[in-house]
Amino acid sequence: MLMGKTALITGTRRGIGKEILEQFAMNGANIWAHARVETPEFVDYCNSLSKKYSVKVTPLCFELTDSEAMKAAVKIIMKSKEPIDILVNNAGVTYNALFQMSTEAQLREEFETNFFAVYKLTQYISKLMVRQKNGSIINISSTAALDANPGKSVYGSTKAALICMSRVIAVELGNSGVRCNCVAPGVTNTDMLESMPQAVVQEAVDNTDLKRLGEPQDIAKAVVYLASDKASYITGQVLRVDGGLVR
Amino acid sequence: MNLKGKNVIITGCQQGIGLATMKAAATAGANVFACCQTQKEDFDSAVAELESKCNVRIIPVYFDFSDEASIKNAVKQIQSEKMPIHGLANIAGMTGDSLFPMIRQDKMEMVFKINFFSQIYFTQYVVRLMQRTGGGSIVNVSSISAIDGNPGQVVYSATKASWIATTKTLSKELGPNHIRVNAVAPGVIESLMTKTLIDEGKMDNKIKKISMNRAGKTSEVANAIVYLLSDDSSYVTGQILRIDGGIA
Repeated sequence: MLMGKTALITGTRRGIGKEILEQFAMNGANIWAHARVETPEFVDYCNSLSKKYSVKVTPLCFELTDSEAMKAAVKIIMKSKEPIDILVNNAGVTYNALFQMSTEAQLREEFETNFFAVYKLTQYISKLMVRQKNGSIINISSTAALDANPGKSVYGSTKAALICMSRVIAVELGNSGVRCNCVAPGVTNTDMLESMPQAVVQEAVDNTDLKRLGEPQDIAKAVVYLASDKASYITGQVLRVDGGLVR
Repeated sequence: MNLKGKNVIITGCQQGIGLATMKAAATAGANVFACCQTQKEDFDSAVAELESKCNVRIIPVYFDFSDEASIKNAVKQIQSEKMPIHGLANIAGMTGDSLFPMIRQDKMEMVFKINFFSQIYFTQYVVRLMQRTGGGSIVNVSSISAIDGNPGQVVYSATKASWIATTKTLSKELGPNHIRVNAVAPGVIESLMTKTLIDEGKMDNKIKKISMNRAGKTSEVANAIVYLLSDDSSYVTGQILRIDGGIA
């Protein structure tokens, strides 16, 4: 579905990002695979995907909150002279704390990674997309941005900020051939769940229409669809991939 | 998006979004029960051509949505093929535009009958078949006019809004049976009816409000329906997906 396209995906070392990376490769995309730190295992993994799916998966490792490092990474992409068709802003960190217990330091840190860094990276990449009059941006938000989940006032706010940003990008850049959408995963089976008590996870499962957790593949396939030309008239949308989470 | 080995029922296959969805589903590898109102020769030949091109079965099912006995017969015909049913796209529908003071009761009842009551009735039967299959996916066609409102379309919008409530409720009722239920809400779509209006510039005001600055194509709605029918949307249920080119 993504044959011949080039994508930048952030946060691809584990969880949902790792699965998006694999699904994109499987669908024929060449990929800049972002992770915070370059490790031999990660480089090997990228190489193995390249071989397995006959695509080019290039590790691009930098700290998203380091603006100089981000600038340097964008330069590497520009130097390649290859168009960039898709940006998936997946990297993010979770934080659980009740509203009255949340600290200012955590609030700032969460916004730094989950929103400010995404905003800046998207500015850089969208400029390239506007120049080529084509692009699809997918931001990974969360159902926590749309529903009121206790303990998620900080995390949910960062993810809600992404939704507003996406909708405005859709309006501002729609005429330049750039689409921008959000995927809002529900309770998904990744490391992030380890921060939640088992009983809370079970309750969440019971609260879905499909009576199961989301798997990273479920989310990744939605991202592939929205990134592809099959979604050519969809922009400014938030697609909940949550198994029908009862609100 | 892959529908290989799946058998899907699509209503309203003779024109517009239904026709585009039949083509997209067949291209994705599905066998299609193509539901239409009346037999037409050019449709039959289009079906034959699509069948051989995509190497799938397309079975036309002719019936009248305004007649309950006719709906029952259609279901019997589908059942007689003894194929498990994996998907249903409820696309058939009619408009019935008139300003609020001019709405006539008989017309209003007709639009509700075609766009809602009959399709609920049909869907009830199909759900029973899907439960036997062990699960499936239902895609309903709503409209952005159901969410945003549109002057002159009180009745049409209300029928399309009824599908939003139905989609969300059915998702809750049928989710535990592994049946996913979603809806698409198309915006301004180029069709036989709107094409002239668009070409004559009569839709300019509407199109100006669209981020992508153009009307959508029926194939673009069809692709979304195929996505929601396919296993690519395995964890998506109870959703209303706008396909509108971005309307702020």
